[in-house]
Amino acid sequence: MTVLETARPHPSTSRQWWVLTVRIITPTLRNGEVVTLIAASIMFTVGFYIPLKQMMGALANGMSSYAQYLMPLIALQAIAFASLSAAFRSATDSVLGINRRFKSMPIAPLTPPASRMSASMYRCSIALAVSLVCGHVIGFRFYGGLAHTVGFCVVVLLIGAALSFLGDLIGAATENPEATAPLMLLPQLILGFLSVGVQPVERFPSWIQPFVRNQPASQEVYALRALAGDSTPMAGPVSWSVIGPTLLWVAGFTIVLLPFHVLVASRRR
Amino acid sequence: MLSTPKYDTEKAVVVNGIRKTFGSVVALRDISFEVEQGEVLGLLGPNGAGKTTMVDILSTLTRPDRGLAQVAGHDVMSDPAAVRRSIMLTGQHVALDDMLTGRENLIMFGRLQGLKKKAARARAEELLDLFDLVDAAARLVSTYSGGMRRRIDIACGLVVRPQVVFLDEPTTGLDPRSRQSIWDLVGDFRQAGIATLLTTQYLEEADVLSDRIIVIDHGSIIAEGTADELKERTGGTYCEIVPRHVNDLPAMVEALSSLLPGENRAAMTSASDRIAMPAPDGPATLARALARLDTANIELLDIALRRPSLDEVFFALTADSVAPEASNGFPIGSEPVAAAVDGRNGSGGGRHRRDDHASLRVTDLTS
Repeated sequence: MTVLETARPHPSTSRQWWVLTVRIITPTLRNGEVVTLIAASIMFTVGFYIPLKQMMGALANGMSSYAQYLMPLIALQAIAFASLSAAFRSATDSVLGINRRFKSMPIAPLTPPASRMSASMYRCSIALAVSLVCGHVIGFRFYGGLAHTVGFCVVVLLIGAALSFLGDLIGAATENPEATAPLMLLPQLILGFLSVGVQPVERFPSWIQPFVRNQPASQEVYALRALAGDSTPMAGPVSWSVIGPTLLWVAGFTIVLLPFHVLVASRRR
Repeated sequence: MLSTPKYDTEKAVVVNGIRKTFGSVVALRDISFEVEQGEVLGLLGPNGAGKTTMVDILSTLTRPDRGLAQVAGHDVMSDPAAVRRSIMLTGQHVALDDMLTGRENLIMFGRLQGLKKKAARARAEELLDLFDLVDAAARLVSTYSGGMRRRIDIACGLVVRPQVVFLDEPTTGLDPRSRQSIWDLVGDFRQAGIATLLTTQYLEEADVLSDRIIVIDHGSIIAEGTADELKERTGGTYCEIVPRHVNDLPAMVEALSSLLPGENRAAMTSASDRIAMPAPDGPATLARALARLDTANIELLDIALRRPSLDEVFFALTADSVAPEASNGFPIGSEPVAAAVDGRNGSGGGRHRRDDHASLRVTDLTS
């Protein structure tokens, strides 16, 4: 009986996590996912910078260049776009029924979601790296030293993790890969444009200024701008009052999502 | 409450008094059965009978409300991890990574089951060969045909040897050739001493594959036995004769005389357009009937042997308990129900009978 001769070894959780992460990464290298990610980061840079540079350049809140002003928003848009794939992937998995299969195998219940998250972080890292290269090309530089530079990257990735966590939930809840894109894109665009990433809050109509100033994308832009620094002092100080709101948004967002994740995961299919 | 659990490591599956409800819907009520090692047990039932829920409980995907379920000597409630290490589950729908190739899927499942990279690769090649998928190994699974998908799906479950296999409607939607290869595989499992629990809607499949069949409907076991025993209970093979002219029916009854038992004769009404009678000798009975009708010079539209379909098995088995009002005048092989349905729909044909029975179970539970 050759069909069934292999004995059962004992699988280790860390290896399973790695195998499941590679499972998601492998197709990204050949189905155009990585190419799209790179293209999107470039598009966000070009699409914001070229049309707005002349108009906004003089008004960049007194910063040294519009590139320096715009960089946080470019990074945020790139990372938000990367988290779209998390939604798509988790929806696809739910539709395929492969999650159900994993549940009937000797795999810890948290391993598949953990591997989806690590694959998301891989996408976010690509998005961040490409957007930093793009930023460099248009003239963005880090002025805050190593610690602040690392801080910039960590904050972007934390935001990416939170958004991917949301994407994962939306994908699992809708079980419809096609429906995930608009659900994820719309808030990204609205929050992106109605933020201080493109222009200072004073340039918005007064009635919407409270929203623009306090919505999460703006808070994140403030934090990232401070961490990136500038040759002028206009980037703002790296302090808890500037960075704190972003960390609280990310933490709060994640905590709010957790019970929904549990709910969707325990839903009977 | 149930008595203390009996852990029987000799049995592949022990199910005792399992009950499961979803909200107010009872999916399974007091189910008990056992599967011996190397035995193939067919769980036969219509959509919504509770088959998948039973498989879900045994593969630790769903927790029963009460009762005991034990797989390969491990309790599904207290030691689900050990159960998961002992089983292979193939669900109703193929569950693979569509974005990977067939080979990549096999290697992934091998590694998930704890095989080292090299062993997983080697095992993948073996399985590709065994399942006749070598040519398609480097193609994405999303490009596979239905039969290929089903084969690679099962192959992925065999990267390591299971002790108990659950096949949940493994041949639904497959072409005859692919179905045959799945059937052959079940034979391999039996030979290897692996217990198989197979769910199916098809009596034929349960008949061909299973050592024993459990018929389940509305969450209850309504019959248990071999395929032959079950068919015996539903009246066995019968012969259906349709005359070209309905007016010939009385003459046919006369010509058939002793071949047509009194109860079938009595079951006929003025609305009947055909005769159905038991065919204990199969083709020989048909030949005899044909000869007699020929001698009587009666022109026929159709004459055929019919084996009881799953619907009919169900109907016969559930007639007393589940749908007594619909069972009136329906000994299998007699025609009043068909005739009545035909009359209502204004067109002939035995197919209506199936539809009619199917509709009796539309109110069923979960899938």
